[in-house]
Amino acid sequence: MFNSKYKPNLQVNITALIFIILGICLFNLQVIQGQNYSHIAENNYVRIKTIFPIRGEIYDRNYCSIVENRPSFNLYITLGKIENKENVIKFIVQNFNIELADVKEIFQKNRFRLYQEILLAQDVPYKIMVETSELMNFYPSLSYRTGTVRNYLYKNHFTGYVGRINEEEHHKLKDQGYSINSMIGKTGLEKYYESNLNGINGYEIIQVDASGRSLKFFKHNLTKSPQNGSDLILTIDNNLQEYISSIFPEDINGTVVISEVETGGILAYISKPDFDQNIFVNKLSSVAWNEMIQNPNKPMLDRVIHGTYPPGSSYKPIIASLGLESEIITRDTKLAQCKGGLNIGNRFFKCWLDKGHGKLNVVNAIKYSCDVFFYDLSTKCSLEQMNDYTKRSFLTVKTGIDLIGERSGFFPTYKWYVENYGKYVGIIGPKVNISIGQGEILVTPLQMCFYFNAIANNGKWIQPHILEKEIGEKRTILYSGITKNLPISTKNLEMIQESLYKAVNERYGTGVAASFPDIEVYGKTGSAENHMGKKTHAWFAGYVKWDKPEIAFVVFMENAGHGGSVAAPLAAKFIKYYDKMRIE
Amino acid sequence: MLIHVHKFDWALLIFLICILLCGVIAIYSASTTKIGNEFQTENYYLKQILWIAISILIFLIVLKIPYPIIDFFTIPLYIFSILLLIVVLFFPEIKGSHRWITLGLFNIQPSELAKITTLLLLSKILSKPHIREGQILIRSFPIVILPVFLILLEPDLGTSLVFWVILFSLLAFSRLPVFYLILIISPLISIITSFNLFLFIIYMVLLCYLLYRMRLSLIIVGSAAIVNIFIFIITPILWNSLKIYQQNRILSFIDPMRDPFGAGYQIIQAKIAIGSGGILGKGFLLGTQKNLNFLPEHHTDFIFSVIGEEFGFLGCIFILIMFFLFLYKIARSINKIKIKEMRYTIVGILSYLSFQVFVNIGMNLGVVPTTGIPLPFISYGGSNLLVNIFAVSLVLKYLNERRTF
Repeated sequence: MFNSKYKPNLQVNITALIFIILGICLFNLQVIQGQNYSHIAENNYVRIKTIFPIRGEIYDRNYCSIVENRPSFNLYITLGKIENKENVIKFIVQNFNIELADVKEIFQKNRFRLYQEILLAQDVPYKIMVETSELMNFYPSLSYRTGTVRNYLYKNHFTGYVGRINEEEHHKLKDQGYSINSMIGKTGLEKYYESNLNGINGYEIIQVDASGRSLKFFKHNLTKSPQNGSDLILTIDNNLQEYISSIFPEDINGTVVISEVETGGILAYISKPDFDQNIFVNKLSSVAWNEMIQNPNKPMLDRVIHGTYPPGSSYKPIIASLGLESEIITRDTKLAQCKGGLNIGNRFFKCWLDKGHGKLNVVNAIKYSCDVFFYDLSTKCSLEQMNDYTKRSFLTVKTGIDLIGERSGFFPTYKWYVENYGKYVGIIGPKVNISIGQGEILVTPLQMCFYFNAIANNGKWIQPHILEKEIGEKRTILYSGITKNLPISTKNLEMIQESLYKAVNERYGTGVAASFPDIEVYGKTGSAENHMGKKTHAWFAGYVKWDKPEIAFVVFMENAGHGGSVAAPLAAKFIKYYDKMRIE
Repeated sequence: MLIHVHKFDWALLIFLICILLCGVIAIYSASTTKIGNEFQTENYYLKQILWIAISILIFLIVLKIPYPIIDFFTIPLYIFSILLLIVVLFFPEIKGSHRWITLGLFNIQPSELAKITTLLLLSKILSKPHIREGQILIRSFPIVILPVFLILLEPDLGTSLVFWVILFSLLAFSRLPVFYLILIISPLISIITSFNLFLFIIYMVLLCYLLYRMRLSLIIVGSAAIVNIFIFIITPILWNSLKIYQQNRILSFIDPMRDPFGAGYQIIQAKIAIGSGGILGKGFLLGTQKNLNFLPEHHTDFIFSVIGEEFGFLGCIFILIMFFLFLYKIARSINKIKIKEMRYTIVGILSYLSFQVFVNIGMNLGVVPTTGIPLPFISYGGSNLLVNIFAVSLVLKYLNERRTF
C-alpha cells in the first residue's frame, strides 16, 4: 500500500475524495435545500437581536435623583430596506430636524450594516411621531422603537453627559458589546464610570419562520439576558449644591467646592457658568456647538479641575509650613519689618497694605496676610525646596479625583525660567512673587480645597472622590479615597490652624466677613493678580468646625476683586445654610 | 533562460491564475454594498491585486535563484520565522488573539510564514539518506512542536492544526511503517474516546488487534495499550481542571452550535447565504446575506459564502473543479521529480493546500468546525497569499528544473 510506485495515486485519491465530499455537501445545500434556504434568507428569519441593558442612574447622597432615564421614541433606519434613497433622505430631513450632511454621513458610515437598525433620531417629540406615523408606511426602511433617553435634572460639571458612540470608540469597544447605536459617557462621571453604568448587553436569537415555527438551527442558549448597569450614589448633597448654585453671582465665573473633612467626599461641586448637559444627548447642531465653544465665558470649562489659576495669598500657609518645617523660622521669629514693601536686591516688592504691618511673627503674618514676611522668608529658601514642599502638600499635582482629564497645575523650575526667559534670568524676583502665590504658579481650586481639608483633618490628606457607592444587580461597592500625610508636624499644624482661625475671627483678620459667633470658621483669603483682567481673582479657602472639623471649602471667583470682600461673604452664606441643614 | 517551455507546467499556472481571478471578483463583491440602487465598493480588491503583483515578483525570483541557495537558507528562514512567532506575542491583540505584527501600512501574520519554513526544514531532514525510523521521529517532532506551541499561545488553534497535517503527510510519505502512524494518531483518538468508556474499549480492542496483526512484538503492543489507557485516565482529570470558559471554548470549536452568539451564528448565516444561492445564484453583486452584521469576515474566511450566494451551485462547482485540477496537477508532479527533498516539499505543499481548501469550504458549508483558516488564493490577505504563491512557485520551479531522461 505504501509502495513508492503507487504513492502519487494515493495523493490524487485523497484529493479527489475531499472534493467529492465537498461537492456532495454543496449539492445538498444549494440544490436540494436551496428553495428552503432562499426563503429563510429573503425574510431574514434568523438573526440576533441585541437586548440593551438599562444604564445606571445617578443619585446624590440622600438618594435624590440627579441623572435619570426618561422614556422616549427613537427613529431607526434599516439601510437594506431602502427603496429610493433620495426620497427617504428628503423625508428624514423634512420631518426630523436632521441636517442633510448628517443623514448622508450616517448612510456612509453604516453602509456595511445594511440589515441592522441604525439609530437616526433619539427622543422624537410625540407630536412629530403622530404626524409621521401614517406616512411611515411608504418608507419601510424607517421604524419607531421605544427606548430611553438620558435626562440631566440639574446643570453641573461633574456628571458629564452621554452621547452617541463615535467610530473610534465603537472600533475600540465593539468587543464589549457596544453597537453603533450605543450611547456612551463622553465626560465626567458618565465617562469615568462608563463600564459600571453601562451594564452588559443581552442577546436573543430569533429563528422562527412566517408561521412562527422554530427553524431549529440552535437547540439551546437562545437568550442571554442583559445585566443592567449599576446605579451611582454620590457624595454630593444636592440641596447644598443647588443652594450655592443659586446664590453664586451670575455675572462672575468661578467655582465653589465643599468637601467632607473625614471622608474626602465632595459635597458640592460648582463651576460657573454652567450649561445644560441635555443638549449633548441628541446630536448637537454645529451652530449650537460653535456658540458654545465661542462663548467667552467658556461654560463648558470645568473650572474645578480643568482650570488652573495662581492661588494668591491662600498659598501663604504652605510657605509658612515650609519655613516652620525646615526650621528657618519658629513661632517667635520675626522677619523683616513691613513698611508697605521690601527691598530685595535692587527691586522694591510691595505689600498690599501701603502703610505697612511692622514686624510680625508667622501667625500674625498669615492673619494679616502680610506680603513682606513671606518675601523675606522666600529669600531664605530655594525654589527647589518650595517646589518640592508644594508638591508634597499635594498642590500642583493631580489629586486623582474620579473625573476625566484633571489638570495638575504648574510650579516653575529654574530650568523652566531659563528656557522661557533666557539665560540671564534673575531667579530671585519670580521666587519672591511665588511666595505669595503670584506669578507662574498655577493650582486647581480642587487642590486648594483638599489642602485645607487636610489641615482640618489633622494633616491627613484624602484623595477627593465624588462616588460614594455603586449599587448593582449583584453587588454594592463602597468607595473611599486614599489617605496620605501632609509634611507637617502636629505642633506646626496647630500653629497654622490657629492663624487660620485668627484670620477669620479676630479684628483686622482678612477673612472676617465669614465669621460667626457660634461657628468656628478657619480660612485664608487670596487676591491673585493675573493677565486675564484688571481685577484680581478672589479666593477664600478654609474649613468649618462644629464639634469637630466637618467641611472644607474653596471659593474661587475669576477677576471678581479681593478674597476678603467678595469670596468670604459668599462662603458665609453657604456656611450658614449648611449650619441650618445640619440642625434639620 | 528562465523558463523551459517544454518542461514548465503551464496548465498548473493557468489554473492558479484562474483561481486568483475568481478571488479578486469575489473580494470585489464581498466588499460592495447596495443602498437603494447605489453600489459602493471598498478597495480591498485593489489591495489584493497589489498583493498579486508583488507575488508575481516572488514567483520570478523563486524561478531565478539556484536551488542550493534555497537549500542553504532553509535553517535560517526557519529560525527567523520562529523569532517572528515570538515577537508577534508582544503585539497588541486584534479580535482576541496576537496573530498579527502590525506595521502601520499592513499587517504580517508570522504563522503563515512558519508553515512554509517548517515544511522546508522537515523535507530537508526527512530526505537525508540512510536516516533511521527512530531518528525521523526524534528529529521531526521538535521542529513542528516549537511553532505549534508558539501559535497555540496566540491562540490560533486552526493554524496549528495545519502543521500536524504537514508532519503527518510527510511521515506517511517517508518510509515510516504504518504502525508508527497508527501509534502517532492513537493518543488523539484516545483523548476523544475517553469521554465514553464503551467507545474507548472498542477502540482499544481494535488498536491492539491491528498492531498485533502487523506482527509487532507483544512489548510494543503492550506499551501502546498502557500509554493509551494512561491518556484515557488522565484526560478527564485534565479536562475537569480547566476553567468553565476554557472548556466552553474547546467545546464550541468542536461543535459551533454550542456558541450561537459567535461561531454558530456565523456558520448558520454562511449556510443560509450559500443555500439561498440555489443552482444559478443571485447574480454578481446581488447577494444580500453578505451584509448581515455578525458575519464580518466575508472577504476573508467566509468568502466562499459570497461566491455560493451570488454564483450558486454552478459557480461553486466551477471553483471546486479549478481547485481539484490545480491540486491534481501538483499531486501528479510528485512522480516526475527525482530529488527526494523536492518530493517531500511538494507532498507537504499539496497536503496543506488541500487541507486548507477542505477546512475552509467545509466550514462555510457547516460540516467542519470554524477554524479561522482562509481559502487559499481566494480569501483577502497578503501574508497568506504571498506564502501560498511562494509554495506554488517552488513546485513550478522544481518541475521546470527537473532532469528529464
